[in-house]
Amino acid sequence: MNSIYDSRILNLVIFSPLLVAGLLAFLPKNEKGQIRALTLAGMVLNLLTCLWAWSRFIPSSPVEFQLEYRLAWIDDIGLSYHVGVDGLSMALVLLTGILGPLVVLSSWTFVDERVKEFHLALLVLQTAMLGAVCAVDTLLFFVFFEAMLVPMYLLIGVWGSEERQMAAMKFFLYTMVGSVLMLVALLAVYFLAAPSGLRSFDYSTLYNGLMSANRELAQYLKTNPGGDGAGLSATALALLRFGPWLFLAFALAFAIKVPMFPLHTWLPDAHVQAPVAGSIVLAGVMLKMGTYGFWRFAIPLFPVAARQFQMLLAALAVVGIVYGAFMCLAQRDIKKLIAYSSVSHLGYCMLGMAAFTAEGATGSAYQMLNHGVSTSALFLLFGFLYERRHARLMSDYGGLAKVMPVYAAFFLIVTFSSVAVPGTNGFVGEFLVLLGSYKSNLPLWMSVVATTAVVLGAAYMLWMVQKVFFGQVTHQENLTLKDLGRREVVAALPFIVLIVVMGLRPQPFLDVLNHSTNRYIARAQYAAGEGPSDDSKVRVLVRPLPKLAVAQASPTPAPSAPSVPAPVQLPARPLRLQPVQPQLQPAQPQPATP
Amino acid sequence: MLQTVPTAHYLILAAVLFCLGMLGVLLRRNALVVFMCIELMLNAANLTFLAFARERGDSVGHLSAFFIIAVAAAEAAVGLAIVIAVFRSRGTVNIEEIQSMKH
Amino acid sequence: MEKLQLFFQTSPVDPTAAGHALWLIIALPLLGALISGVFGKIIGRQNTHLVAVGAVGGSFLMSLLVFWAINDFRSSAGSPFGPISYAVGADFGTWFSAGSFKVTFGLTADHLSGSMLLVITGVGFLIHLYSTGYMSHDAGYWRFFAYLNLFIAAMLTLVLADSLPLLFVGWEGVGLCSYLLIGFWYDDAQKAFAGRKAFITNRIGDFGFLVAAFLTVLVVESITQLPVASLNRAGADGAMVASRYAQGVSARGALSMPVLEETARILPNLLTQEIATGPLKGLAYGTALTIILLLFLLGAAGKSAQIPLYVWLPDAMAGPTPVSALIHAATMVTSGIYLFCRLSYLVVLSPTAMAVIALIGASTALVAALIAFTQTGIKKVLAYSTVSQLGFMFLGIGVGAFWAAFLHVVTHAFFKACLFLGAGSVMHGNADEEDITRLGGVRKEMPVTWATFLIATLAITGIVPLSGFFSKDAILHAAHVNGIAGFEWAGHLAYWLGVVTAAGTSFYMMRLYFLTFEGERAKDAKTPHAHESSPVMTGPLVVLAVLSVVALVHGLPIMHVQRGGTTVTQALMENFLDPVFRTTNDLVAQKQFLVLPKEEHGLLGAYVQAWLIAVVAGALAFFVYRRYLPAVKKLPAALEPLRKFSFNKFYVDEVYTALIVRPLTFVARAAYRLVDAVLIDGVMVRGTAWVTKQTGAVLRYLQTGDAQMYAAVMAVALAGGLVWALMRVMP
Repeated sequence: MNSIYDSRILNLVIFSPLLVAGLLAFLPKNEKGQIRALTLAGMVLNLLTCLWAWSRFIPSSPVEFQLEYRLAWIDDIGLSYHVGVDGLSMALVLLTGILGPLVVLSSWTFVDERVKEFHLALLVLQTAMLGAVCAVDTLLFFVFFEAMLVPMYLLIGVWGSEERQMAAMKFFLYTMVGSVLMLVALLAVYFLAAPSGLRSFDYSTLYNGLMSANRELAQYLKTNPGGDGAGLSATALALLRFGPWLFLAFALAFAIKVPMFPLHTWLPDAHVQAPVAGSIVLAGVMLKMGTYGFWRFAIPLFPVAARQFQMLLAALAVVGIVYGAFMCLAQRDIKKLIAYSSVSHLGYCMLGMAAFTAEGATGSAYQMLNHGVSTSALFLLFGFLYERRHARLMSDYGGLAKVMPVYAAFFLIVTFSSVAVPGTNGFVGEFLVLLGSYKSNLPLWMSVVATTAVVLGAAYMLWMVQKVFFGQVTHQENLTLKDLGRREVVAALPFIVLIVVMGLRPQPFLDVLNHSTNRYIARAQYAAGEGPSDDSKVRVLVRPLPKLAVAQASPTPAPSAPSVPAPVQLPARPLRLQPVQPQLQPAQPQPATP
Repeated sequence: MLQTVPTAHYLILAAVLFCLGMLGVLLRRNALVVFMCIELMLNAANLTFLAFARERGDSVGHLSAFFIIAVAAAEAAVGLAIVIAVFRSRGTVNIEEIQSMKH
Repeated sequence: MEKLQLFFQTSPVDPTAAGHALWLIIALPLLGALISGVFGKIIGRQNTHLVAVGAVGGSFLMSLLVFWAINDFRSSAGSPFGPISYAVGADFGTWFSAGSFKVTFGLTADHLSGSMLLVITGVGFLIHLYSTGYMSHDAGYWRFFAYLNLFIAAMLTLVLADSLPLLFVGWEGVGLCSYLLIGFWYDDAQKAFAGRKAFITNRIGDFGFLVAAFLTVLVVESITQLPVASLNRAGADGAMVASRYAQGVSARGALSMPVLEETARILPNLLTQEIATGPLKGLAYGTALTIILLLFLLGAAGKSAQIPLYVWLPDAMAGPTPVSALIHAATMVTSGIYLFCRLSYLVVLSPTAMAVIALIGASTALVAALIAFTQTGIKKVLAYSTVSQLGFMFLGIGVGAFWAAFLHVVTHAFFKACLFLGAGSVMHGNADEEDITRLGGVRKEMPVTWATFLIATLAITGIVPLSGFFSKDAILHAAHVNGIAGFEWAGHLAYWLGVVTAAGTSFYMMRLYFLTFEGERAKDAKTPHAHESSPVMTGPLVVLAVLSVVALVHGLPIMHVQRGGTTVTQALMENFLDPVFRTTNDLVAQKQFLVLPKEEHGLLGAYVQAWLIAVVAGALAFFVYRRYLPAVKKLPAALEPLRKFSFNKFYVDEVYTALIVRPLTFVARAAYRLVDAVLIDGVMVRGTAWVTKQTGAVLRYLQTGDAQMYAAVMAVALAGGLVWALMRVMP
């Protein structure tokens, strides 16, 4: 962990697509082949940087945010460019990186209009997604979180199917509603977590600032449930009054993104209308932003409120699981079916998180990756079919296994992964989520209801497979469909490999997620007033803001060393109208940190 | 110490000027006059700045006043250009007659 | 005899090494599946045959060596609770772990799974061989052999797995292969549907399996939380038990077989105690155990085609005949019985579960036999007969005759595979004619098929001295003499149901035989002359027929064992499986939930009785189908509705469709139209948009376009704000 590059890998990871986008801007519009090749090269480069980061990530290290990089940005409001990865975000970075080249390959021939803009959008989207998962600063996260919207809006709205305008607008408005509320809540947390002058949007400041107040509140509520908060500290009192609202604001933003029942109706429309690349990215990474947001922000920042709403979250998750499955049974449109299956699968993620058990949380994190692989693969494969036939209804197909055997084999394997047949990745995630839910304090019947999706999942997926692939070929035009070409096999094969590898050897991935999970659970427990009052296990330790504009590659603080609470490391400076010079001058003395 | 005009007098004058300007903006119909009234309001603000600058003995107020003058000049240039353009296309500078941006 | 025993007990392979090589047995067919599936088309038909058959053959040879190693003196498998003798196994590392839960790649072969190994790879090998002939004209041969190899690998995983999650891999894996193979000729939508039906029905069972597994974890974890004193038991001090148990759970995971066995050893004293911690708080351990076992029964009912989930098996006959023989007769469908044999130590702790299992088994056996009476498809009859025989096995489990149930698994694997392959051979030789009313007189034209089919038929009907007689009789005998504590009536009821079913079995099997092989060739037969199948197909038939006879040695009561001062006579299989069921037998002796007969009943009387039943029912079939019906040509009108009722399988499928499938689909459609489209998207989402739009429509009239009015409003608002602020500061 002492290579000078380590602290910069993430910058490469995040901005290499943007860099390539910059290059791409110079290519002439009609050089479509060159544009595609350059984008592909950029995505592969990006994947390599992601793999590099993965190789430098130490799963067993106790440091929470690894490969950290921090740079002062707008010092006056305590905003810094601060990136770092823990286990979960590392895994999501890798997933995003892997999907990148495959997305380009998937739309190699699919998109033939405004090729340059399309690929620019893809690259910008890649940067935004990677930035969002790497951001340690909440405002930075928010910026990237919002930045994702624009390219995705364009992907759906410009290159989508017939109803694309409506779907893009719905997607955009839905998400905006949530994020606006989240921004308000974020500001409230900003003011709540630290006194004036020490304020910062950094995750560490926000979390550490609320940590002890949350515990205080939890212990207070244990002894006086429903109390009015007399005798509480100011922060705890504010959390008692506004915590639930703040949590709900965050939760709404992320629940829309997940999407949880009943906020899911944008998803089928967006998926159906989006081009194949949009669907893959949407299913593969963007929906994870919702679950990731819950995991990183909504639940740890307001653990007490999260506990209060645990039943609601879990109930909505279970309803989502079963309801999503039922919706699938009623679909005729294949893409819609896959979209609703996402609702069902992400219900598992939420259930695992709401269970607050180690098994559930691990399963939830793993399920995020699984869903990213399986559902993206389904969209990718269906995209190939759509490109050939431009039809989405099941009744437009039938008997394809005879015409496209290789395609059918790929599709079946992915289907089994989606159905969570043991030996594929889906099983490990679902098993752990359900186990965690059974072991948690949630009522047993809830878990049992969630388990029924095992049957329903098989029912709808195999129904679809039968309609599309089995039986006689019913449409003349399907008789001449070509089987997968070499490019398409190259795009689909990584998914198959991932499905099998993640199903049979999940442990390396679980090891990476392990510390994240433990922290998630430890934070939930600490704030619930359980366990020792020693906060060293839950406190967020990050590197201090560098003194100079250019960050020195100083080693990340080892947690064994006496730790300094992060807020203090930001120099106390009154908010006054004055030129923003000091950071720019190396010689400027800074107030010494204690 | 020399006897000087108290700051309050400047402020009162500025307030009066500002109110005159505002009333002009709200009540007059000729776009040119409205425009001049806006200049009046800006200058009332300038006067306030300078009064306080004198009171505090620093130059931040002057800075602001210069700034405002620059902005006002730019505004006058743009605004008059618009007025002329409107007059050319509509033949009038009466505000009541150029209300096209409504519901 | 001594020398023979010595020979069997000195394996040429070191048992430890055999344990570490167990994965090879699974890996070989898996590799075969990969090669056949990916390269099968390129390397050609002959090479694919070679790869697929060779993979299973190699697996069989290795299974033989492993089986030998299990019987070795030195053989012992490691477990956190001390070595297990007469077993080999190894732990191949963690599969996944999270929190306190862990699953390892642990494989163990003991006498139970060792026997299954031989059955699976042995019968599997024969059926692969047969398939090379049977599928010789099918273009999808590479797919077929890939699936078949994959199935063997999954089935081997199922029996070798040392923990329930790993067993579940095999459990679902075989279901998956079954799905693929039933729907092998997928361009027939009916067949593809049958495959889907099988998979989904199995999934309903898997739901039960999963819930049971999760509840088991809860029980195990609550035991680790128990105070040490409550774990005291004979011969072991509570503290020691607790620490070893905790170690075992953390080393191998809560769902590993050794932990479950230890749990069973701990449970007897806790059965009436309430669970103190965890989500099951307040439930008695005994009740929890019963619930778990009943859920496992649901799982097993799915896989082993028992009431209420048996409906998929008859439809599964849509697959190629070798598949029916291998998967839907010999191996996969017996995995439910295997599961309960594995968990026998838990089963004997819950009389309720035992009674339910016995009754489910017995009633399934009877219902399936009744349906089999009137079926006309040769494979349909065999399918219902399989369901019926599986019911017998469950009956055996329910009355605590685990060894007898397992013996029936083995013998059934032989004779039913032989019957199915024989049926396949008949179809192959008669232009794929399945309807037995349009066959007849095949005996002379297909002598080998005839002879083997006859032997297997006699075996399944329970004619002395074929193997089926011994296994079935052992089950019925146990049902007769064993008592389930508190549910004696269930045992008796099950016994009588079993006896009636045994008679029924004899009747419908002889009917099948007579209609197919005897008499005149039907006038509307597809071909005027049948032709005997090639040696590659008849060879396996002969081997299986021989095995159906030879397997009788397992049922012979020839072992004399000292038990508590008296000499007990045991059947060979019972004696052989003794190490597997040691804990079970101890628990039976300790808790007395299963009341074993005090003195030995004379077997001879039971033998004669069973024999008489079979002969009488067979004779009746002979009379009806060879004498009566050919003469009168038509069934009496009074029986016609009954025939129709049975022929239409008691309309169970229709009832399920009406009661479950239709309502579910309806709810789904209605929810989609109402909740999703109208309520959420219509009212909530579009409603919000509508309200916004309407508000805008009203408010836009404030936009007069008069700049001065805007300025005035602004000024008034500013002034108002100023006044308000001033009033706040100056009281």
